Amino acid sequence: MINIDIGATAVAILTLFGIYSLMAISLNLEYGVAGVPNFGQALFVSIGAYTAGVTYTRILPLLAGLESVHPCGPTMGQALQLRSEIMAAQPVAGFINLALTFVIAAILAGAVGFAVSYVTLRLKEEWFLALVLLVGGETVRIVVRGADDLICSHNGISGMAQPFYFLGDARGSSLLFMLLALALALIAYLYSQRLVHSPFGRMLKGLRENEDVTRGLGKGISLARAQIMLIGSAIAAVGGVLFALNTGFVNTNDYVVTLTLDIWVMVVLGGIGNNRGALLGAALIAILDRFTQVGAIALNMSNSPIEFNYVRFIAFGLILLLMLRYRPGGLLPESPLTTNAHDVARRLRG
Amino acid sequence: MPLLELSNIRKDFGGLRAVDDVSLQIPEGAIIGLIGPNGSGKSTLINLIAGSEALTAGRIIFAGDDISDFTPDAVYNSGIARGYQEPSLYFKMTVLDNVLLPVKEQRGEQPWHAPRWSSWQGEEAAQAERAMEVLEQVQLVGHYDTLAADLSGGQMKLLEIARALMGKPRLLLLDEPTAGVAPKLAYEIFQQIARLREDYGITFLIVEHRLEILFDFVDTVYVMHLGNLLAQGAPADIAEDATLREVYFGD
Repeated sequence: MINIDIGATAVAILTLFGIYSLMAISLNLEYGVAGVPNFGQALFVSIGAYTAGVTYTRILPLLAGLESVHPCGPTMGQALQLRSEIMAAQPVAGFINLALTFVIAAILAGAVGFAVSYVTLRLKEEWFLALVLLVGGETVRIVVRGADDLICSHNGISGMAQPFYFLGDARGSSLLFMLLALALALIAYLYSQRLVHSPFGRMLKGLRENEDVTRGLGKGISLARAQIMLIGSAIAAVGGVLFALNTGFVNTNDYVVTLTLDIWVMVVLGGIGNNRGALLGAALIAILDRFTQVGAIALNMSNSPIEFNYVRFIAFGLILLLMLRYRPGGLLPESPLTTNAHDVARRLRG
Repeated sequence: MPLLELSNIRKDFGGLRAVDDVSLQIPEGAIIGLIGPNGSGKSTLINLIAGSEALTAGRIIFAGDDISDFTPDAVYNSGIARGYQEPSLYFKMTVLDNVLLPVKEQRGEQPWHAPRWSSWQGEEAAQAERAMEVLEQVQLVGHYDTLAADLSGGQMKLLEIARALMGKPRLLLLDEPTAGVAPKLAYEIFQQIARLREDYGITFLIVEHRLEILFDFVDTVYVMHLGNLLAQGAPADIAEDATLREVYFGD
């Protein structure tokens, strides 16, 4: 029998909701609004996580005025102890490091998103981008895993303390981390709402609906797509930083294609092109995620031969199929109104 | 100086020569008809001018500028708008958004301005007023918040013209503006075109199969056949020409 701590579960689900929201909003801007089929979301999320892995091992000690210890190999344990000590004793260094991590991750991912889309979207078929990103994401993952020094290949970086670790109180620190995740998700949501309900958002929807016509109406479509990929990728990377801090370690195994698929399920389930839909999708998947985890543990303890983790994949696959078949717009389909123009028009019509 | 001048333009698709050495000049303010049987190269000619197809040879001069190598967005921004044979609206957007999208150089289209609504809302409001005037002209103003998908076939054609007008084009290329539209409405669409020429001095190049309507409105007709310009002349002369009748009408 397992005891479920309701409070801790709620905090865990809400934290996950915040993190997933960032990823879903990112994909919704790219695919839902602009129609760019990004099948490499895991790549952009992973850029955030890998950045955290590097900053927490290389920059954090410097910020604390200490000498950094190589995080991999024989000094692995020593390095782990060092960063835990810093996170416990020097919150300011921790926060500066976190802020730097967000900025570097967003810039890196944004640059990659911009560059990749600018190159591949000039190809005739936009689905080339989907393929390039799908394969590219996996390639980057394998290269990073093979690089012994960056984030210690397949060992990864563990003991990534959360920014409020210095409080010494696990519950309080998780609660504050949850609030941080929710706050960032809220900012991303408000920002993307403003973006979508603007002439920029209208142009992106135009690209999604008819690329040739939009080009014929004078819009530079390659640039617009690269721009939204930059913005979306930066948001995904911020989500990736939080994802790594939430699990407490950075490991390339977390950023496989199934993560990309999870994010797609959130957007398709919630509502393609609707930021609120992305939030709803993120919430539902966060809840489902937690329950499948609890279910997996329960099944394991009961010595059942069924591996519950696969139930999750079956469930997500079913959700995707059923939604596309019966409710292709998602639970919250997008609304057609943009900008303030319709208010002006309504006033003119009396 | 003609507004548009095509000099010996050619387009090959593999071994097929779709447009063969076509030269023509269109004066500003004219309404020009382009006719010919299916496959004669009319639509290809429109695509070449609009930049959606690349020339194999020849030059296109518009308002004194060589636009031969322009991409579709650059052609539009130089003052040439186009309509399409198939309804090519933004069906999931409202009528108003359809006409606002092509407005040139919108501040709110820049991603760094877009989230700061106050930086572009004034401009957007002004454009919305202009859009309502344009919609008024094509009698769609009452449908401004209707989704484009919910319009009738004729209204879609009118919306496409309205959308093209928002970019303040000097030349409007229309590929079968009355395709799939009831005869009465088809006539109204051409009346609309004549009015736009009157009011704004817009020049039109129109591909059309409904000659009985077209001939009532155009100044000059060009006839294409197998990629060549076969003839040009006033509508009355073209209608009388015996060889043309044979090629075009098969009698």
